[in-house]
Amino acid sequence: MSTYLTQVWAIVWKDLLLEIRSRERIAAMGAFAVLAGVLFNFSIDTTTTRPENVAAGLIWMTLVFGGLLGVGRTFHLEAQDGAFQGVLMSPAPKDAVFLAKTTANFALLYAVSLLVLGVFSLFFGLDLGQNLGWVVLVLGLGSLGFVALGTLFAAVSVGTSMGETLLPVLVFPLLVPMVIYGVGTTTRLIDGRPFNEVEGNVRMLGAFALAALAAGAVLFRFVVED
Amino acid sequence: MTVGMSAAADILGVDGADHLDRDRSGGAVLQARGLCREYGTVIAVDGIDLSMAEGEFLTIFGPNGAGKSTLLGMLAGAMRPTAGSVSVRGQALSSSDTDWRHRIGMLSHKGFLYGRLTVEENLRFYGKLFGLTDLDERIPARLEQVGLTRRIRFEARQLSHGMRQRLSLARALLHDPDVVLLDEPYTGLDPSAASVLRNVLDELKDGRRTVVMVTHNLREGLEMATRVAVQVAGRFAWEGDNTGLGRQDFERHYHDVVEGLP
Repeated sequence: MSTYLTQVWAIVWKDLLLEIRSRERIAAMGAFAVLAGVLFNFSIDTTTTRPENVAAGLIWMTLVFGGLLGVGRTFHLEAQDGAFQGVLMSPAPKDAVFLAKTTANFALLYAVSLLVLGVFSLFFGLDLGQNLGWVVLVLGLGSLGFVALGTLFAAVSVGTSMGETLLPVLVFPLLVPMVIYGVGTTTRLIDGRPFNEVEGNVRMLGAFALAALAAGAVLFRFVVED
Repeated sequence: MTVGMSAAADILGVDGADHLDRDRSGGAVLQARGLCREYGTVIAVDGIDLSMAEGEFLTIFGPNGAGKSTLLGMLAGAMRPTAGSVSVRGQALSSSDTDWRHRIGMLSHKGFLYGRLTVEENLRFYGKLFGLTDLDERIPARLEQVGLTRRIRFEARQLSHGMRQRLSLARALLHDPDVVLLDEPYTGLDPSAASVLRNVLDELKDGRRTVVMVTHNLREGLEMATRVAVQVAGRFAWEGDNTGLGRQDFERHYHDVVEGLP
């Protein structure tokens, strides 16, 4: 394995190990996902509203708000004892650090997004049928774009006096394209439409995720360097 | 000429002024030129020049707020100077090239440790970031050096302050750096932990490493140093070779230098 990949993997492994041991973020995000599903279930009158029509929007909103709970705390464990400064003082390139942090965040958020899908399918009685795989793919692409932007701006916000409260203000406007394509695609897939009808949207989601990753990898060093 | 410098030369029998300007660039391992760092209107480091050869051990004393930690941060490449430059073995500390990071090890106020990782996991993590491939041999050797072999499975948060400091030192030395930067390594250590640290620092004086240590501990600082500097208000107010400086004489001189400045 190249040194670059070894460095990326070392940070991913460390982040996931810390999360497994502390369960700080996954517990908060998971609890939020389940509670949001329960509350939304009671907030919709199914005699006047088809659950399939609103489920996608609620799934994505739960994902965005729940994701912020976890991604916003990306650098908090790092801040203890100045550990992140130790990482930055190592020879690991800053883009490797960014990609590693994003990968670890993606693993957590993707797990939560699958939980969200399960919870909403249960409460809203969704029958995804043969589109289940495509919905899982769409949520994966959305999660990737979200964590790429979220990780970058979490690094920005952690260095400010406003901290985590600044993160939604910075990230939400940039998430608009992702939410538009994500909700539109998921709604149609839940409604049983064929994949070729949403293929363009899926490509846009993929492009958004790649653009966010590339931008984050380039800009991260300017954010974290003193 | 810095206030108090002439008196210092009389007391200590060395001419500090010469050392501020002498050119060691030929064999310099660590070199800083016109190093400045400003925080808004506050000037933390104000035009420091430094040139250190292989095997030299510089101890920097100075009052709180003199900019010592900021200076170390810039020498470590952890913070960017407002003006001036730093180089290690002739290679400028630039953000685009990270080779020089292999040559620097830093023990900071903060340990750079992850409390929920074990002693071994912390070292293995940093070892991989430094691209080290012989960690199975290197980690036990470093832990032996700092006396933490029996704590290898302990999480870092379970260690006492002294043990964490020793683990931080093992982390800083893991990649066998040419330049070692130590920021207040004796702070909060009990005599036993300080003794272990002293032994490790003694081993660093092997003639091939260059060490810069910031400390308030006059005894330990003078004992280790081949060169001594006093930093006040962001500048080296005095610097000289340590040719058997007596603690009491130096203490008097230190106060002369610090209190003699406006």
